[in-house]
Amino acid sequence: MASDLLTIAASGTNVARSALNVTAQNIANASTEGYVRRDLRTAEVAAAGGMGRVNDISLSGSTVAEVHRNADSFLQSEVRRTGSDLARANAELSGLKNIESSLEQTGAFDSIVNLEASLQQLSSDPTNSSQRSAVLASASTLANTLNITSSALDATAQGLQSDAGAHVDEANGIGSDLARLNLKLANAGPNNSDRPSLLDQRDQLLEKLSGYSAIGTTFASDGTVAVTLGTNPPRSFVQGGTSATLGMAVAANGTLSFAVDGQATDPGSGNLAGAASALTEVDATRTRLDQLASNLATTFNTAQAAGVDASGAPGKPMFTGTTAGTIKLALQSGQDFATAPAGAPAGSRDTSNLDALRQSLSSLDPAGTYNNLLFDVSSKVSGRQVTQSALDTIASSAQAALQQQSGVNLDNEATNLIRYQQAFQASGRAMQVASDIFNTLLGIGR
Amino acid sequence: MISLSTSAFYDRSTQQLTSLRDKAASLQQQISTGERLERSSDDPVAAARLRMLSRSEALAKVDTRSSQVAETNLTMSDDTLSSITDVINRARELAVQGSSETLNDDQRKAIGAEIQSLHDNLVTLANSRDPQGNALFGGEGGGMAYTLNGGTVTFTGTTNVTPIEIGDGQTVTPALTGPEVFNFNGPNGATDLFSVLSNLAAALNAGGSTATAGSKDALGQLDSGLDKVTTAQTMIGTRLNWVDVMSNRRIANADRVAQEKSDVGGADIGVTISKLQETMTVLEASQSSFARLANLSLFSILR
Repeated sequence: MASDLLTIAASGTNVARSALNVTAQNIANASTEGYVRRDLRTAEVAAAGGMGRVNDISLSGSTVAEVHRNADSFLQSEVRRTGSDLARANAELSGLKNIESSLEQTGAFDSIVNLEASLQQLSSDPTNSSQRSAVLASASTLANTLNITSSALDATAQGLQSDAGAHVDEANGIGSDLARLNLKLANAGPNNSDRPSLLDQRDQLLEKLSGYSAIGTTFASDGTVAVTLGTNPPRSFVQGGTSATLGMAVAANGTLSFAVDGQATDPGSGNLAGAASALTEVDATRTRLDQLASNLATTFNTAQAAGVDASGAPGKPMFTGTTAGTIKLALQSGQDFATAPAGAPAGSRDTSNLDALRQSLSSLDPAGTYNNLLFDVSSKVSGRQVTQSALDTIASSAQAALQQQSGVNLDNEATNLIRYQQAFQASGRAMQVASDIFNTLLGIGR
Repeated sequence: MISLSTSAFYDRSTQQLTSLRDKAASLQQQISTGERLERSSDDPVAAARLRMLSRSEALAKVDTRSSQVAETNLTMSDDTLSSITDVINRARELAVQGSSETLNDDQRKAIGAEIQSLHDNLVTLANSRDPQGNALFGGEGGGMAYTLNGGTVTFTGTTNVTPIEIGDGQTVTPALTGPEVFNFNGPNGATDLFSVLSNLAAALNAGGSTATAGSKDALGQLDSGLDKVTTAQTMIGTRLNWVDVMSNRRIANADRVAQEKSDVGGADIGVTISKLQETMTVLEASQSSFARLANLSLFSILR
């Protein structure tokens, strides 16, 4: 079946117009998040000649075979995996930095040193009332800074917990969106014009979801996806048109645990995992801080009980409370501080009790303990920073590889515009030729 | 060569410019504060070391104040001991006079009266107070070192003095107690300066051979007493020397700590400024190349 020149040229203009449309679509979506560059795949239309006319020329122009979506599932899964690791590192690092700031910026270390210094100063002149007051003032400052440090840790923990809660909600939202998309994808035929944009949405949701937790994906040929969430073991999260519910529980010590439809799992990566490990670190830090506060209170109270104050009366407890959050100075006046040993008269300058206190303080070494605590946290921050920047590089090169393959480059699109415009003009020219030939034929015999 | 998509190009450029700007800001802060570390995690080891160095600086300041206290107390003790020596020397002169048999009883009484007032001076000196208002020779007691009761002088302080810390775990005892200055073993056994003087005054008042015998007896005792006081002065001198040695040591230590602090945590201004310059050059180059690359679109050429 032979086709005429006009039809061939018309199909060419159609194809070129479609290609121009695709190019314009690419340009319009150059900065749309999650948009995957489309290509027009064309196919030649050529029928074989009829019976006995095998060698006839039977060209019928070209047609649009497919609007191709330049997605590479391997690169996309790499972006998800590396992005998930990076999200974990980012969340953990920011939590750790907050812990570091809580410990460092409240000046608890300086308060400890000031208390040590004021005790040392007092030992050279134990009956000096201004130096006794200085000891009490620095003890009160220390108790206050420990309170502030503790509430800063609380705030860090609450921030991490509420972020994680919001992320769990978002992950559940993504789960149900994915389930709906699965239904739409199953209904949309392979050549439905909605399909590429549905697939874009699907991939974008998967990438978002991987920011919260480690995920596993299995794609069916119709584009639907089955998603598992977490590791050790992974739990089925989205299957066909149904999605499970991710739940989060906050333990008494502030640490997090996760379950999908009641079945425990570990996020493995993503910012939920980062928040969980930062909260574990908050808990460990708080335990050490509380221990320090409790030891300080015990040391001072024991020493007070063993001595007499400036009026010769037995010393009263110096601190109340046994945690960093509750420790509080109980003494009212510097005269209540017991520097002299039991049995010493009022106004005694005997400092044996103060010396014993300083002895037990130096073996408790609160400054060294706090310094170590701060060192441990800050070296974790510094180590995680190295990891984070490595993961950042890995994630951005995975992203770049994907972008290179699926992103829109305006220069390429400009080239395509010209190319398809020329193709359109050329096909138009072919129609002109067809018309000329027709006119020539009509003119025969005039 | 990776051909970036347009949005990736913009994202990446923004990221690079931001990180360069952050780096420049951080270097600028290092220059203006003179410190290399903004937070502990910038260099955890150095930060931990810096904290311990500041701690030893803070405690060394207390040591400096304590050693000033010790020095003042010791100097005051020294001055007081000199005055006590003067009293003893005057009493000795008077005892020499009193031992003379050519004096009549009235003259002896006059000498006895002077001895009595020397005795009272001695009690006043023994009750000297240090700048903190405590009895200089009273040990750890809160009140007077000596009380005068019906002519009898009794030591009412304690015989302990708490040593003061003056750094590096070293201590100095900032004062002597009364018995260390005034009590001694004379030719007739253990006694103290107060009873020697009051006995002498009593003997001179009694007149006659009691006065001459008493004066001769007192001479020997006063010599032993003077020995004790000069020994005490030597002890004070040694302690003052010790405080001095420790002060020098502390100054040297403070220099070392300051040096180490600046080595560990200080920003090397020269290096930092040249780093900042380098960063600024790169930043400016990136900005201008970004502007050019962003303009370099085929669309701006195609008309």
